[in-house]
Amino acid sequence: MTVTIALPSKGRMKDDALAAFSRSGFDIVQTGSDRSYRGRVEGRDDIEIAFLSASEIARELGAGTVDFGITGEDLVRESLPDADRAVTFEARLGFGYASVVVAVPEIWLDVTTMADLGDVAADFRARHGRRLAIATKYHRLTRTFFSKGHGIQLYRIVESLGATEGAPASGAADIIVDITTTGSTLRANHLRILSDGVMLESEACLVRARKLELEESPLAGEVVAKIRAALPRA
Amino acid sequence: MTAVQLPDFADDLVAAMAARQTNRAEIPVIQPAEPFLDMAGEDLRRRIYLTENENGDSLCMRPEFTIPVCLGHIAGQVGTPRRYSYLGQVFRQRREGGNEFYQAGIEDLGEADIAAADARAISDAAGLLGELLPGAALTITIGDQGLFEAVVAGLGLPAGWQKRLIHAFGDEAALRRMIESLAAEQPLTVEENGLSELIAAGDVPALAAHIGSVMEETGYSTHASRSPEEIAVRLVEKTELEKTRLSEPAFSALKTFLALEAPLADAAGKLESFAASAGLDIGSALELFAARATRLEEKIADLSTVNWSAAFGRPLDYYTGLVFEITSGVSGPVLAGGGRYDRMMTLLGAREPIPAVGFSLWIDRIETNRNGSGRRA
Repeated sequence: MTVTIALPSKGRMKDDALAAFSRSGFDIVQTGSDRSYRGRVEGRDDIEIAFLSASEIARELGAGTVDFGITGEDLVRESLPDADRAVTFEARLGFGYASVVVAVPEIWLDVTTMADLGDVAADFRARHGRRLAIATKYHRLTRTFFSKGHGIQLYRIVESLGATEGAPASGAADIIVDITTTGSTLRANHLRILSDGVMLESEACLVRARKLELEESPLAGEVVAKIRAALPRA
Repeated sequence: MTAVQLPDFADDLVAAMAARQTNRAEIPVIQPAEPFLDMAGEDLRRRIYLTENENGDSLCMRPEFTIPVCLGHIAGQVGTPRRYSYLGQVFRQRREGGNEFYQAGIEDLGEADIAAADARAISDAAGLLGELLPGAALTITIGDQGLFEAVVAGLGLPAGWQKRLIHAFGDEAALRRMIESLAAEQPLTVEENGLSELIAAGDVPALAAHIGSVMEETGYSTHASRSPEEIAVRLVEKTELEKTRLSEPAFSALKTFLALEAPLADAAGKLESFAASAGLDIGSALELFAARATRLEEKIADLSTVNWSAAFGRPLDYYTGLVFEITSGVSGPVLAGGGRYDRMMTLLGAREPIPAVGFSLWIDRIETNRNGSGRRA
């Protein structure tokens, strides 16, 4: 049996993921050039490495076409309808921290909680002739958090592919749901996170597809055990 | 995969609906998605089948008939009152049952006699079910958001709270949480912002001026979204509300009301004694409720199968008064559901308010029920 592990194909997340594997005793080499999308582990022909974009990793895990992946919890929960049924989070890796948050214009002095936002959303149509518009690329997380978590249904999602934090000032949306690490981009755009508006505290995780053959595989068990053993102690 | 065929009783049903003074509405399967999402909220998006036309406009396969019937009525500029019926497939991703199934129903637009139109909707639904399922035991449950609104108004609660409560009505868990949070000590959530004197004085113009100037400095439009006045007014209201809490009598009146249930014949009496003991005036809502019950009595011989439940409602902002459901047996599957949606027509673009009430029949469940009883026989 072999297992396929998907790693981020570029950026900081890729370097951190390679380092995590290296600490666990798996030295990953990219086959061919360093722009190749395949890799292997030194001395292990039972492990294959695929370099994919972070959101592809979530999708491929959900489809079961890769066995393991390193990617952000936010992307997994956003990409997969019933994430906990499709995959299991084996280890939280201590990098790639990002919070998915609900942020409103700072000047909305009367809106500090989700309950406030619910009031505003309920009235919005009557006052402005349209629903409250939320700019985000996190459709699924937003719907779950707003309707299941807070009973807020009356809003519209405005697709945002980049620079989400600029949407309220530009008039493209009223509020946003986005990721933030330090909050400095939000502050620079005069946005404020609601006090109960943190939807998810995400970080990079070792994620395993839920497949029967992996549940019982010693090889899969070894990968998980070694990654866990090499985690930095909190 | 099973083919979804028109039920064998379709012709009878169409004739039965026509006999109830309705015009058959022919609704295209492909519909603009916007009105459905706008009315039902973003949550609907994951339950409907979306596509796009060449221009990139969002289209969907009709997930229900009420909204297209209303839009067709508005576009056709036909006079009211007017009654529509429909029978056709709807397309929705459901947890149980197929994703394409038949619905039929009647929408009654513009009838000014609210009590009569309400009673007629209930008795039409029950009558159609009676024809399709002869001899079946049916239970009718009715609720009335108008009563809840009257109770909330009668308790003299602050306007902000009334809105919150009415908005949550129909979602029992959310409503219970909200009532409990209003009765508890309110956490102060308005952040210190150097404006406390203006807020305490209720000086909305000065607050709005301040908010407007901050918006301009920080590059926010003062009219594209919430206006400075809107923010200032709500800031004052909210700060005021956070100093108060739901009184003990109001808390227990709400709890008592929401727990009320009775056979329809006893409901008005129960409501009267509730209102008297809570010291509330719910006069006009109660009058409508009683008038509707009387009209229903004329149409349905046996009122013992009709139950009223005070907490029964739908948490959608266009539902305004009556809601009802008809189940097979006491707690079987819902075979028909409907209600009054007086706010929808203007939300959809009608120039004048148009009262509206209607219901739909779950054809697939009715079919199952017919087959089930057929086998037993």
